[in-house]
Amino acid sequence: MHELSVALSMIEGIADSAARDGFERVLAVHVRVGALSGIAPEALRFSWKLASAGTLAEDSTLNIEDVPLVVFCERCGSERKPRPASGLICPECATACPIIVRGRDLQLVAVEVPE
Amino acid sequence: MKYRVVSIEQNILRKNDALAQGLRARFAASGTLVVNLLSSPGSGKTTLLQETLARLSRRRRVGALVGDQATDNDARRLAASGAPVKQITTAAECRLDADMIGRALDGWEPGRLDALFIENVGNLICPAEYDLGEDLRIVLFSVTEGEDKPLKYPLAFNTAQLALITKIDIADAVGFDRDAANASIRHVNPGVSILETSARTGAGMDEWIAFVETLIDRKTAAREVSVR
Repeated sequence: MHELSVALSMIEGIADSAARDGFERVLAVHVRVGALSGIAPEALRFSWKLASAGTLAEDSTLNIEDVPLVVFCERCGSERKPRPASGLICPECATACPIIVRGRDLQLVAVEVPE
Repeated sequence: MKYRVVSIEQNILRKNDALAQGLRARFAASGTLVVNLLSSPGSGKTTLLQETLARLSRRRRVGALVGDQATDNDARRLAASGAPVKQITTAAECRLDADMIGRALDGWEPGRLDALFIENVGNLICPAEYDLGEDLRIVLFSVTEGEDKPLKYPLAFNTAQLALITKIDIADAVGFDRDAANASIRHVNPGVSILETSARTGAGMDEWIAFVETLIDRKTAAREVSVR
């Protein structure tokens, strides 16, 4: 539900990069969104249109890489993907795995800009 | 069109994280324990806090910031305790963030506080993502909510140091399954402390208050060491 403020923070991050890396327009944006980030990709797409209007990223394509939840299972000694809505339970041995390896990501990865 | 790729690789919430670190330094300097309360709407955050402020303010300087999308009803309820309280109205936003806390503190002079309680917006998803510079994050979970709630909202329960089960006085009436609830909490956070409370009957409140006071003493002592 805070997708609009996330989209506005992305614009800020892109504007900082524009000043640093010397570009004035953005064609596409790549973000990474974890399953536990609380962000709904469709709501982020909708918010992106609103937040980018009138900025250097207007009409840019938003590419969202979904990152699944991955935990570290201490009993199995390896990384596991819990089943949906099973919390942080190892799907192999049913142990609770509080160590979240991936899935909290909310990352501005890169932009594509005109040559 | 020919294009080039510019790598950015940064956390989108990095600004919040930086502001939260600033708040943490500010609270360390004043020796103020900060407690962030998360729960769904209706779990009893305000009732717990009313009772907590009333009990603690006999011996300690405590205050509260209260986040809601609309109304200042909760702040008015809490102010009845006599403790300094300020409402943060978030409008469209579903959670408090570090910037809102910073701005609320700037216009507020409650004096030095031993403890500041932050009642977040009732929501178990978004607030879990936002660091407010707190020392202690607690998640409230009432006996009417369904024992599998921690499995549905793992991050809120995973990032908390204490889970408070509230409204324990009506547990039998609503068929609350204590073992199932504890098991789901432990599934997402095996090491978390769990306390059963009822702000209405006072059950578990002495333990809760003692827990907070231990942390207040620790925080005050840390400040005294750094001042010296």
